[in-house]
Amino acid sequence: MTAIAVSRTSVRREAWRLRLRGARGFVRQFSRRRDGVIGLLILAVFALLAIAPGLFVGSLETATTATGLQLDPPSSAHILGTDELGRDMLNLTLHGARISMTIGFLATIITVVFGAVIGIVAGYVGGRTDALLMRLTDFFLVLPTFVLAIILAPIILDLIGTDAEFVGIKATLLVIVIVIGMTSWATTARIIRSQVLSVKERMFVDRARVIGAGPGRIMRRHVFPNVVNLIVAQTVLTFATAVFTETTLSFIGLGDPFQPSWGEILNAAQGTGAPGLGAWWYIAPPAACVVLVVLAFTLVGNALDDVLNPKVRTRR
Amino acid sequence: MGSRYLGRKLGQAVMTIFAIVILNFVLFRMMPGSPERLLHNPHLGQEQLDALRTRWGLDKPLIPDQLIAYLGATATGDLGVSIKFQNRPAIDVISDFLWPTVLLIGLGEIVAILVGLTVGAYAGWKRGGAVDRVGTGASLILYSMPYFVIGMPLIIIFAAGLHWFPTSGMSSVGISRLDFIGQVIDIGKHLVLPLTTVSLGLIGSYSIIMRSAILETRSEDYMTTARAKGLSDGRQLRAHAFPNAMLPMVTIIAINLGYVVAGAITAEVVFNWPGLGSLTVLALQERDYPVLQATFLLLSVAVVIANLVADLLYGFLDPRVRA
Amino acid sequence: MSIDPRDLAASSERGRQAAREERDAVRADHATEPGPTTGDPARARAAGIADALEIRGRRKWPFPKQADLDAPLLEVRNLRTHFRLDSGTVKAVDGVSFRLDYGEALGIVGESGCGKTTTALSLVQLLPSNATVVGGEINLMGIDLVKKNENQLRRYRWREVSIVFQGAMNALNPVRRVVEQIAEPIQHRLGEPKGRALARARELLDLVGIPTQRGNAYPHELSGGMRQRAMIAMALACDPAIVIGDEPTTALDVMVQAQILQLLESLRTQLGLSLILITHDLSVIAETCDRVLVMYAGRVAEEGPVDEVFRRPRHPYTQKLLSSFPNIQADRRTLDVIPGSPPDLRTPPPGCRFAPRCSFAMPICSEVVPPETTFQGVRVACHLYPADGAGQPVTIAPQNASRATVPLVEPPPDAPPIEVPA
Repeated sequence: MTAIAVSRTSVRREAWRLRLRGARGFVRQFSRRRDGVIGLLILAVFALLAIAPGLFVGSLETATTATGLQLDPPSSAHILGTDELGRDMLNLTLHGARISMTIGFLATIITVVFGAVIGIVAGYVGGRTDALLMRLTDFFLVLPTFVLAIILAPIILDLIGTDAEFVGIKATLLVIVIVIGMTSWATTARIIRSQVLSVKERMFVDRARVIGAGPGRIMRRHVFPNVVNLIVAQTVLTFATAVFTETTLSFIGLGDPFQPSWGEILNAAQGTGAPGLGAWWYIAPPAACVVLVVLAFTLVGNALDDVLNPKVRTRR
Repeated sequence: MGSRYLGRKLGQAVMTIFAIVILNFVLFRMMPGSPERLLHNPHLGQEQLDALRTRWGLDKPLIPDQLIAYLGATATGDLGVSIKFQNRPAIDVISDFLWPTVLLIGLGEIVAILVGLTVGAYAGWKRGGAVDRVGTGASLILYSMPYFVIGMPLIIIFAAGLHWFPTSGMSSVGISRLDFIGQVIDIGKHLVLPLTTVSLGLIGSYSIIMRSAILETRSEDYMTTARAKGLSDGRQLRAHAFPNAMLPMVTIIAINLGYVVAGAITAEVVFNWPGLGSLTVLALQERDYPVLQATFLLLSVAVVIANLVADLLYGFLDPRVRA
Repeated sequence: MSIDPRDLAASSERGRQAAREERDAVRADHATEPGPTTGDPARARAAGIADALEIRGRRKWPFPKQADLDAPLLEVRNLRTHFRLDSGTVKAVDGVSFRLDYGEALGIVGESGCGKTTTALSLVQLLPSNATVVGGEINLMGIDLVKKNENQLRRYRWREVSIVFQGAMNALNPVRRVVEQIAEPIQHRLGEPKGRALARARELLDLVGIPTQRGNAYPHELSGGMRQRAMIAMALACDPAIVIGDEPTTALDVMVQAQILQLLESLRTQLGLSLILITHDLSVIAETCDRVLVMYAGRVAEEGPVDEVFRRPRHPYTQKLLSSFPNIQADRRTLDVIPGSPPDLRTPPPGCRFAPRCSFAMPICSEVVPPETTFQGVRVACHLYPADGAGQPVTIAPQNASRATVPLVEPPPDAPPIEVPA
């Protein structure tokens, strides 16, 4: 008994040692990617802002607590100017970070979980299940999902009710989360399925099958760990898309004016006619944030993808 | 081209369109603006309600009667009646807004394909060179910008600031008094900024994808052969790398159309361009579900057909799938 | 191909054999020492092989302006090609010298990674972007190609040195018609109008045994053998001075391999091709080549006439290579395997690079790089053959006696199979 116990701890220790070494190698390789590191720094700043915007600019200003003149250009009192209600743009933008990032995060989780499960099941089970799931995936790939999202949003709002709330996010925004998840999982599913197909052919899956592991266990214990790198990279890239889509959906009026994301702020700016008035300060801060965050996620995602899933390119 | 390939692609497209119609039917039943709810619409008179009831066969079971009725109506172009636009048929409303969008997306695609593929191909070919560094950097930033984020600064600078172009709309107020040439120039002036917006948005992704497609070909053996043949750089790129890199591009451009539609919607909103995008947002604000649905149906079918065309084009470009 | 090269070398094709011996006698003296000689035309003609003048006369396109037609066709001296990797510099080719005469076929053989392909691709610098020719001379008709920049080199590619790549499926552009791809260098390198280029391409197709109308096919529509033939036709498009075959038969099945080799052989006599054939298949060399260059870890181990080298391999590596080759006649249950693996070329061992795997290694072997010495037309780089020796190995007590199972001298004609003692 003791012998087994000892060997088991040593195996575990060995496994940890290997994992640690892998992690070190990963950090070393990733830190060599300048674009990835820059992206990561940008994201770190935004993560900090998103976690505690109140720490920097106080609580979110409303029409009644607005501190400035209406549509006032940047000044020493309001370094980013004010909106048409006299709210401080810096205040709005930093609080917008919290909303945009949270929605992006939740939508990413839904998208990736949905996409990964469909991809793994389709790839591993194969046959008719695979054919059916892939037809569905292709259908969603071709569909203009954005327009579908516009139609789905009111339906879902109707279904979950306007009073619903989740981690401080109101129903309207939850709808955006769900809609993004429902309409953007297809790419992830496709990518993961093709990886699963190649993993499936490898020895250890057969070995697991021979010793009598069921498909569920094989998928969880053997297939999943081998596609997890892909899922990680895909998650980061999906985050970029989710923030992008959220901004767009909010911009065309699906957002919540009481929980303004960057897209919602831009929607308000458009509604006020800020571009035609030349009120650049109303547009520049949220727009710059959206671009920076999407860009940063894309950079990090691409770097991760290169480091974690090196494509074997051989030349004689 | 092999008729089997053609037939398979055609069959897939028909299947997809059918699925879209079914999806539309399901949504139609689920949405807040579904027929049952529509009956409470204060805009409608009693006779109209009765007429609708009969037309939709609401007294009959959902499947198959209502479904068949729906399919029949859809097939004959009856996509419901607009709520916002005084009960005009949704299809008529849509056709009013269709052409500006076709003009915007069509021209935008042409410009973007020409510029994006050229920049991307050159950047990939001279990897690490000046064009690559500047072009790829700019493309990544453009790729990260929603279309309206591209459009708004354009208005601030070129319309509100420099007054070179109008801020919104598709034509000036008195356009009908101008002669044909004058009308074209007027519309052209209004078109510049929205077109630039759509093109820039597309150029970002096209050049990034084209760059990696060209890079991909560079590691292929036939490119070593082309180099071994002592062909000039330009000839290697034009005759060998480019035709092969175009193959994935054709598919990607078609798949991307769904996103272009999304982008164009926001670009139209920013410039108040009277197209399907503006219509969609208007319909959303007014909860004009029949119009929303009809737009969705039309756009989906358009995207599916565009994909079919891309598949056929692919078959034409790649001899390997022709057989 | 499971034909023993030694059997082939000793085959009953007496006529060809005699011809080779004649030629070898002529060429033996300049296997290492370059000289202006291209052999005695009369003797060469007697041997059934076109001489330099005749070969040069056949060419339809002018030679490069700077070409010195009295200089040997190709003379490589001390070629060094290095790859830069993150983890260090790989000395893939490190001091290789050889020579190729008009109408001659030289085989380069060695394990994968020994630098044989890199050597050949270095000639016109068709190397990956992280590789550079860092030293040496490549004299093509007296023109040093190492001194040329990329743009100047381009003019020598295909017009003077063309390549038949391995795996024509990937080496041909999948989206262009075969005949267009053959015509392309004629049109774009020789400046022929398109129509004439296509007509010439069809002639070439005919020459390599492809029905002319099949030229309108795309690569994927042709069989593997047909594609390789098309590749050969393409290599011949500009009447190049040298054709390099980079494992031209490796990806093909045995029957097709034989056909392609036959084609190469017949083209060689018909056109007087000067050929460099890269392969790890010794039987291919035995069938097609006049001389063989055995490479190990980026250096020349042994070089000489095929018959001589295969009959009496001097370098221990050549011996191992030959004995690790399956022999169809001997009923061998065991094949010799060369123990160990080739060295890491980022940090090659000092001295002889084969020393760590060599059964006859002496202390000196791991300290001093063996100089190349020539005996009877065979050049060998091994301390067993000192420059003042007579071509017989010095007698030593092998260090790894237990592994010393390979005879150092020529085995009797019907030597029993060599068994590796357990």
